[in-house]
Amino acid sequence: MARKLRVWVDHNVCVGNTMCTTIAPKVFALNDQRQSEAVNPEGDTVEKILDAAENCPVSAIIVEDAETGERLFP
Amino acid sequence: MTVHEDLLAPDVIEDPYSYFGRLREEDPVHWNSLYETWVITRYADVVWSLRHPEFFSSEVFLRDPKPPYPPILDEDEGLYDFNKRYLSHWFIRRDPPDHTRMRRIPHLQFSPKYIEQRFRRMVQDIIDFLVREFDERGRMDVIQDFAAPLPILVIAEWLGFPKEDREFLRQSSRGVLSVDEAAADRNERTAKALLTLKEYINPFIEERAAHPQDDLLSLMAAGEREGTMSRDEVVGNLILLLIAGHQTTINLIGNGALALMRHPHQWDQLKRDPSLIVKATEEILRYDGPVKRAPRIAAADFELGGKTIRKSERILIVLSSANRDPRQFTDPDTLNITRYPNRHVAFGGGLHHCLGVNLARLEGQEAIKALVQRFPPFRLEMETLTYQPLLNLRALTCLPIAWK
Repeated sequence: MARKLRVWVDHNVCVGNTMCTTIAPKVFALNDQRQSEAVNPEGDTVEKILDAAENCPVSAIIVEDAETGERLFP
Repeated sequence: MTVHEDLLAPDVIEDPYSYFGRLREEDPVHWNSLYETWVITRYADVVWSLRHPEFFSSEVFLRDPKPPYPPILDEDEGLYDFNKRYLSHWFIRRDPPDHTRMRRIPHLQFSPKYIEQRFRRMVQDIIDFLVREFDERGRMDVIQDFAAPLPILVIAEWLGFPKEDREFLRQSSRGVLSVDEAAADRNERTAKALLTLKEYINPFIEERAAHPQDDLLSLMAAGEREGTMSRDEVVGNLILLLIAGHQTTINLIGNGALALMRHPHQWDQLKRDPSLIVKATEEILRYDGPVKRAPRIAAADFELGGKTIRKSERILIVLSSANRDPRQFTDPDTLNITRYPNRHVAFGGGLHHCLGVNLARLEGQEAIKALVQRFPPFRLEMETLTYQPLLNLRALTCLPIAWK
């Protein structure tokens, strides 16, 4: 069974650069404020989501294992 | 409104904060009839503008139907056209999909982790070398001898240019920026610098296409080989990375040095507690950041702050005014190196948020830390400091100091 993730975006940090919505468009989408939201943490593979998180220029994306709570990024 | 409209007048260059501060309070979405441009100065409006590229196009050269202001020489029309076309290869002067197609190629090399791993140690080593060199002299120009050599050495190495060429690269880069000055003959200096750089860069691309190395030249050359970018786009964007990679950081370090010299208590505080360097660097970016404004052009008719902005009208988004907006920051005109949170817009925002943000932060942090921790006690050697007459950059001409 695929690992379940808890993914969220820190809106005190997000600048709306849209790297994450480009890398993983099924997971991230812009809200009314043009900041990213993790709308569907199951929308893509763990690798793709971590790729989006690592390439966020301001490290606004936080990724955890939903079951164990283990912090996967940052 | 009683303010004058000359954005390159000496009083605006010396103290942009007072000039744009008045606009921010009295007419936050202001029509400047001299430059024929909207001037946006409040934090909330600036953030909104940066995040709505569908209204705020970055294609300021391609889409501007009006003649340049300040006026240029009649005989320079051809040079102006060349500069406009050439500078439009820069991804920061394009909208999606062209922006994204080009920026995506270097982007993965700019991730926070990659920058940290590749550059932290290199930056510290370069600083060690610079500190040893001038320690013996007893005096220096902070800009010329410290703030400039660090970022130019880093970006030259990363791009893949020989470090012996650094002074040539710096002077040519400064030449390109002439297009932002008031002088009627400015286009000649910009065109000459662009052509010189183009001629310099071309052979490197051929060489790296055949023998790739771990540098940005090779990455961009591969972009051409794969058909993602044309040769002119590759060369143009290498020039962009070169210029953006050091002309900005020089001023982050220079402006930061000056701000701390003028606030000796905070200098001492940072000296006692170097862990403050991250917050201090952010505060310097907010208080007197290197980039004053982001130019845009209206992509459609729309309303902002009760004004109607029409398609194809020019717009200046004034980052340095947003960073002093009392609606967003407590005591905005006061330097406070412990300020937190500090959501400044010194790096812009949205799609065009600075690509080099993590490298700029790293270089700024290490340079300012070294200045405070490792310099002997010194004094400013000049009473009155001057700034370069540029629309975009907040750039000290020089910052001479002598050991006490």
